[in-house]
Amino acid sequence: MIKGKCWVADDYVMAYDIIIQEYWTSPIDAEENSKWVMAGVKEEFNKENGFKDQGFTFIVAAHNFAGGGKSIEHVITGLMGAGIQAVFATSFARLQFRNAINYGLPFVTCDGIADGCSTGDELEYYPDEGEIRNITNGTVFKTVPAAPFIAEVGKAGGLMNYVRDKIAKGEPIE
Amino acid sequence: MGMTITEKIMARNSGREHVVPGELVWTDINTVMTMDYLGKTCFDKFRQLGKTEVFDKDRVICVSDHLVPPPNQKFATMLNEWREVVKNHDITHFYDLGRQGIAHQIMVEQGHVLPGTISIGTDSHANTYGAVGAVGYAIGVTDAAVAMATGKAWFRVPSSVKFHITGQWQPWVMAKDLSLHIMGMMHWNGHLIYKTLEFTGPAIQSLDMAGRMTLCNMTVDLGAKNGIVAPDKITQRYLDGVAKGDWDMIASDEDAEYEAVYEININDLAPTVALPDKLDDTVPVEKVIGTKFNKAFVGTCTNGRLEDLAIMAEILEDQQIHRDVNMIVVPASQTVYLDALKAGYLETLVKAGAAIDTPSCAACAGIHTGVAGDGDIVLSAGNRNMKGRMGSKNAQIYLTSPAVVAASAIRGEITDPRVAS
Repeated sequence: MIKGKCWVADDYVMAYDIIIQEYWTSPIDAEENSKWVMAGVKEEFNKENGFKDQGFTFIVAAHNFAGGGKSIEHVITGLMGAGIQAVFATSFARLQFRNAINYGLPFVTCDGIADGCSTGDELEYYPDEGEIRNITNGTVFKTVPAAPFIAEVGKAGGLMNYVRDKIAKGEPIE
Repeated sequence: MGMTITEKIMARNSGREHVVPGELVWTDINTVMTMDYLGKTCFDKFRQLGKTEVFDKDRVICVSDHLVPPPNQKFATMLNEWREVVKNHDITHFYDLGRQGIAHQIMVEQGHVLPGTISIGTDSHANTYGAVGAVGYAIGVTDAAVAMATGKAWFRVPSSVKFHITGQWQPWVMAKDLSLHIMGMMHWNGHLIYKTLEFTGPAIQSLDMAGRMTLCNMTVDLGAKNGIVAPDKITQRYLDGVAKGDWDMIASDEDAEYEAVYEININDLAPTVALPDKLDDTVPVEKVIGTKFNKAFVGTCTNGRLEDLAIMAEILEDQQIHRDVNMIVVPASQTVYLDALKAGYLETLVKAGAAIDTPSCAACAGIHTGVAGDGDIVLSAGNRNMKGRMGSKNAQIYLTSPAVVAASAIRGEITDPRVAS
């Protein structure tokens, strides 16, 4: 179980706003990318460690979280470096959904969750049960189960570890 | 039950008879593309997997496009590191400054993408590869590193949506107008996420490769996983002499299943414009006629091809661009540049008062070559118009076709090319 407070995103939170243009060419590094993560989303986050210092554990969103079509992985490492341990949304943009899986950060599909949470609410996430409990207001949400492969990659700590292990053991990738 | 073309390509490249939407498969990758600002990280990660040799030196394609020519020392240094790492891995196909182009243009024009196969690229517009009947998926650097090491990538099989396009292409109406029309019709915020979009019908069969590339290119901006046009005679002609490998014809089965089918007749399709900030806020050009702007930009992986420059030259022949408008034109590759030079298009554009720049992503990525400043109003034939995309957050970007940009530049205000020409 993971416990912590959530930040509820507005609609149209795009990958572009999570990592703004001047940091696209930065190295992919959780510590570095987390300093300016979310800088384009809200003025209050547009300062060094602006988002990170809020101490959120979860992000809750509606449709197409991290959309706008940007493949950079800084988005995921930035969120992880800022202490985010899971993101719950009705739907995710595919590029960042994929990157999140590859880094082992749970991007969990959960219909309608944005309507049932406010920024600052305490949440408990039970990955094995597929359940999110909002402790602040007492509501419970069921999540859409992920494919077994995604759980396997998550358990390995990301696709790099998963594939490195397979290569080292000479196992086929299929 | 039959399969759609994307399902068939995913099945044959994962060694299966049949796949269904939602299934997770590891597929063989025909080519992996990466480029200057992310490429070094791909190679670094690739080595972290315990490998020193890429799966096939001929099938890892390296391109310099975002950072060239370097506008500052930071990019110059990044490019030097990039060149070193490509050289160290003895990569066969390296399209560096002088032989460069926008990666997606290079991939298709140089025959690195083949019908029936899967190619991936570390840039979101890798969807462009669907124009030749390939599956083109955008991926991140981790997936690229894994594919460089193993020749494979994991994918969830997407469900298919068909866009059946009928009618005749009208004068001065381009594939870009159809792309923007679909954007307005479907909205980018959800409906087509994860889907494969298949374009069929007589208006697609009569569309040239440049138009097919534009159409498939912008499917990523609809949230889709890929866009595809089944190979035909136009594909065959385009690939003859350039294809780097064998390929065969492939098409959807008659009884393939689609999640949705949309019919669009283009007889009445007007030149179309996306208003600033949101891609799906599109209108026919007549709704914005007279809107003044001060910058015009044509280039990018969406609209920097020979056919785009040809239509601009036709409109700007013996005309002058308005004194209040700065126009920058960036051919999508050195090949396009040379062809446009030989055809006289660049001469026409220069005489009209356009600045021609070196093939690169240019101002579309907002990092160099004509970026937007505070208060700029840009009329662009690129692919994205969100705040800050081309530079300043205090600039406005209208997106449209090269024909609308050219006709409008003469008057300094948005103009219908059908009326002006």
